[in-house]
Amino acid sequence: MLAYIVRRLLWMIVLLLAVSLITFLIFYVLPSGDPARARAGDRAPPARVEAVRRQLGLDKPKVAFPWKDSQIRRYYDKLVLHQDLGTSYRSNNAPVWELIKVRLPATIQLALGAVVVWLLVAIPVGILSALKRRSLLDRATMGLTLIAISAPVYWLGLVMLYLFDETLGRFPLVPGFDSYPDGGLTGDPAAWFESMLLPWIVLAASFAAIYARLLRSNLLEVMDEDYVRTARAKGLRERDVVVKHGVRSAVTPIVTILGIDLGVLLGGAVLTETVFNIPGIGRLAYDSIVAEDLNTIQGTVLFAAFFIIVLNLLVDIAYSFLDPRVRY
Amino acid sequence: MRSKTRLALVTAALLVLCTSIAACGGGDDDGGGGGSSDGGGGQKGGKLTVLNAGDFEYPDPGASYYQFDYMVHYATARPLYSYKPDQASQPPTPDLASGPWKISNGDKRITVGIRRGIKFGPPVNREVKADDVEYALERAFTESVANGYVTTYMADISGAPTEPGEYKDIEGIEATDDYTIQIDLERPTAGITAAALVLPASAPVPREYAEKHDEKSPSSYAQYQVSSGPYMIRNDHEGKAVGWVPDRRIQLVRNPNWDAKSDYRPAYADQIEIREGNEPVAASRKVLRGKGMITGDITVPGEVVKEASQRYKDQLELPLAGGYRYVAFDTTKPPFDDPNVRKATTAGMDRVALRQARGGPAIGDVATHWIPPNFPGFEQSGGKAGTGVDFLARETGDPAVSAKYFKAAGFSGGKYEGKDKKISLVCDDDDPGKKVCLVADQQLTQLGFETDTQFVQHDDVLGKYCGVPKNQPNVCPNVGWIKDFYDPQTLLDATFNPVNVLPENNSNYPQLTDKKLQAAFEEAEVLTEPAQRARAYAEINKMITAQAPAVPYVWDKQAAVRSEDVNGVVNDSNALFDLSFTSIKR
Amino acid sequence: MLAIAEPEVAARSPLELFWRRLRTDKVALISLGAIVFLTLVAICAPLVVELMGAPKPEVQNTKALDEFGSAAAPNAANILGTDDVGRDVFSRIVYGTRVSLTVAFLATGIALFLGVVAGLYAGYHRGWVDSLLSRSLDVILAFPVLLFAIGVGSACKSEEGCAGGALKPGITTVVFVIVVPTFPYFARIVRGQVLSLREREFVEAARSLGASNARIMFREILPNIVAPLIVYGTLIIPANILFEAALSFLGVGIEEPNPSWGAMIADAAATFDTAWWYMLFPGLALLLTVLAFNLLGDGLQDALNPRTAK
Repeated sequence: MLAYIVRRLLWMIVLLLAVSLITFLIFYVLPSGDPARARAGDRAPPARVEAVRRQLGLDKPKVAFPWKDSQIRRYYDKLVLHQDLGTSYRSNNAPVWELIKVRLPATIQLALGAVVVWLLVAIPVGILSALKRRSLLDRATMGLTLIAISAPVYWLGLVMLYLFDETLGRFPLVPGFDSYPDGGLTGDPAAWFESMLLPWIVLAASFAAIYARLLRSNLLEVMDEDYVRTARAKGLRERDVVVKHGVRSAVTPIVTILGIDLGVLLGGAVLTETVFNIPGIGRLAYDSIVAEDLNTIQGTVLFAAFFIIVLNLLVDIAYSFLDPRVRY
Repeated sequence: MRSKTRLALVTAALLVLCTSIAACGGGDDDGGGGGSSDGGGGQKGGKLTVLNAGDFEYPDPGASYYQFDYMVHYATARPLYSYKPDQASQPPTPDLASGPWKISNGDKRITVGIRRGIKFGPPVNREVKADDVEYALERAFTESVANGYVTTYMADISGAPTEPGEYKDIEGIEATDDYTIQIDLERPTAGITAAALVLPASAPVPREYAEKHDEKSPSSYAQYQVSSGPYMIRNDHEGKAVGWVPDRRIQLVRNPNWDAKSDYRPAYADQIEIREGNEPVAASRKVLRGKGMITGDITVPGEVVKEASQRYKDQLELPLAGGYRYVAFDTTKPPFDDPNVRKATTAGMDRVALRQARGGPAIGDVATHWIPPNFPGFEQSGGKAGTGVDFLARETGDPAVSAKYFKAAGFSGGKYEGKDKKISLVCDDDDPGKKVCLVADQQLTQLGFETDTQFVQHDDVLGKYCGVPKNQPNVCPNVGWIKDFYDPQTLLDATFNPVNVLPENNSNYPQLTDKKLQAAFEEAEVLTEPAQRARAYAEINKMITAQAPAVPYVWDKQAAVRSEDVNGVVNDSNALFDLSFTSIKR
Repeated sequence: MLAIAEPEVAARSPLELFWRRLRTDKVALISLGAIVFLTLVAICAPLVVELMGAPKPEVQNTKALDEFGSAAAPNAANILGTDDVGRDVFSRIVYGTRVSLTVAFLATGIALFLGVVAGLYAGYHRGWVDSLLSRSLDVILAFPVLLFAIGVGSACKSEEGCAGGALKPGITTVVFVIVVPTFPYFARIVRGQVLSLREREFVEAARSLGASNARIMFREILPNIVAPLIVYGTLIIPANILFEAALSFLGVGIEEPNPSWGAMIADAAATFDTAWWYMLFPGLALLLTVLAFNLLGDGLQDALNPRTAK
């Protein structure tokens, strides 16, 4: 098992290097903009644009063989030898790590909160629907879940704001848009909680639907199995049968996709963060891509990839505990 | 998706330029209106919150080049001269200077006295000397600061480098004693150079403290700057500006060493917090409904201006930005190389609809020429009614006049029918620039053109296309310009003078090549008396308008809002709230 | 002696059973009908707009706006209102079907094709081909999808496009950024299926008869995975529709002034509290289209595997 984990961690490092290389290609080589000119400003005389270009290190060739002084070499030297993600052009040479650090809490809060909400909804709904299959309740909830999956999350967010935003909504209830308090959770917990309610619900909606349906279909499959029929024949209550055997077998696929989904969300839920203007990593990534702030882009992409890979690894490890057939 | 307000403010790059003002620069200490500069007297204390979309462009006062940066720097750094809030005129008020500047030696020498007893904020804590001003100006020429305007407006200083490079002691900038600074020039342009001393680059920087930061490129003095004004960015004992969290907030606190008696600024608020990353629509609304807030770099978007003008009238400020917005033609290539085609197109455009795309009548009058209201030269150019040309006489456009000029160009049908009907446009992909562009696009199509429109990212509109002559499209529908200073040269020189066409970062989009126009600019440049200059530039304005190089559509106002309990004072020179004059009603 | 005609007993292939079950699922059939209807609308968009008497989608009617330039509410001339430059919302929604459906079908189709080919080769040949493919898929799957799409979309925005002009802004780029993260999904599924099928007797039989590898892959194995592929394909289409809309919402998808439902929602985002119509209707269009595909996909899945039927 330990050997397996070590192997996976090594592979993770390889993957991260591959991801950073792809990022470099996409964001350094592809685009045609000139970050130096953008940074120097619209009225800067050419000499100043050149000075800024030198400051940002953009006067070096992007890629040079064999491993001579070039932008790609500088980047990997900093990253691998000094664990330094560089500085941001857009934010006055603030270290990229600082920018990410400041925004990480909001993204984590958004992701974890949404996970809690959707599990709290999906588990009972999934179980109930399976128990009462083909009833009106079942059909209604399955219909609702399909709608939740089909609605774009940002549109759902706007509709929620339209209805419930405290300043603008028809039925003012909670602060919504652009209301994440400056100090975050530790600054003003009450305001923080209020401002996160709508984003959590909106983000959780489609996931809750997916998980409820998944749980339901897994339970239905299990309910037809022989050993379950035996248990029923022995006189156990339907509910106990389903919950004991069904849920246990459904846990594995749910844990799998939970890991994947959480991995993606920790990299930043760009759409939700945009609609509610939550200062998270997703928003940072988007802003830096649009502004061609290369170092920040690399930083955020690496973080996102890191979360995806780590969560995948955790899921695989969890598997070995959940499913005794799986051995590493 | 969200309106990016930077276009308004970046095109406003406050290069405070005064061209050959009266040879004896300076005036009385009290500049403009006196009492009303003070916002009617505010109350001391309280915390002012400023809602911002973005961050500093450059936090280093020696490098900053942007309206919002100035908003902060004019509260934390005292340049030699500055403008009081409603001082819409020359000459500026002495700030760090002890009095008006003296020009001598055939307009080649400027002498400025420094006030005594002004102290730097912590951690430097000592008295400001003339050497600190010398160092501030000299460092602006270095590569690690790379100031964008000194090489243009202070280029005539003896020994000034032509390109950013290593620090050197410039012989033309000299602290002759502890309280006197002397600037020597190669050419007799003391008027311009003296007037440029309102720029934050002239605010003092302590040499022994800043030298080590200036060794890095870019200089880390930005993160360690020292205050000379009523406020400072909250810092630690080493001087690191911990109150500035990039992209999040800037916290200003009082400078304990500031002497109120030495400054015309009242500095009412005890604390100022600038919160960044806000979305313009939401932030403007929050300000209107909340307490203790004002908008910073956010230009209030049209829909909120509407709401404010209907329900929160006295919380809405609409200062004139001091410039114009226009649709520019490239006159170097067909079809707009033909003046008749330009005039016909100008007459055919509905300028009210263009203005509507930016917010309608609330944001200003439809422009008829290139000098906005309340500006020297406005009345002399004909005022609101215009210079008299028929193709700009009707705000909604005049089809008959348009047809007339198309016929004069050889198109009998009254619309463009020539072989160069395919024209290129470059547009912003985000509102409000996008809206104007779409409207202009449709109007041009209705005049017989076939438009090929590209929507590009905001920075690239000027940076890659409109500002680079070889990449320039036929029409740039969403450009603008703002004064650098209360002198009409700053409104017309960079945008229409035939000699000012740069290969990159060009602002003269039409690229007119008229010799008479060029000569008129040359003559006007060396005039000294303000009334004379206003008249001369009004004539230039008329000459430019007559050639229809572009379609001016609004003399815009820059909307800002404040909360009910805030006594907001706008500084006209910046069209933003003045942090040293705004107070909370208690 | 009378000959008794015995009814022929024919074994039904899985595919036939699949269709039979599908035919009885009313909901699935209705959604199939809806999708066909939407496709027709997309193809005949100009006709639809004309029949309804609506202005063309690119026509800006600034007279319909108020003096501040705010959008016009639903009225007689514009049944679903206008946007903030006076363009008719109904027309833009109709033309928007073209964008959504084109991208969805095209991108999914290409991804499906690439995924099937890759999965077949990897699963059948195993060895280094499989390793190479699996490792590459690992890298692609580790890359945050939305950021990749935003990045490429943003980089390729200028007129010349990027990658030396191969990727022009608009549909080409959008299809590319959807295909890249989608085909690994298909490749993995196909590979898994092929791995289990390649050991079956019919494959061995074909091999012993001298069939070439290609023939075995495409003639023997592929037909057996068609049914699940249809199902997964139909489930991926709605995800891709939403993906394109999300990219257009963020401003890195379909170019102005082409109408895309996602871009319309983005335009409306600043004024949704007063001008609710041009936020609501494009969103509903998206919702209903995606819902139709999801219902169909559901029905297909039930037909394929009746144990999970409702």
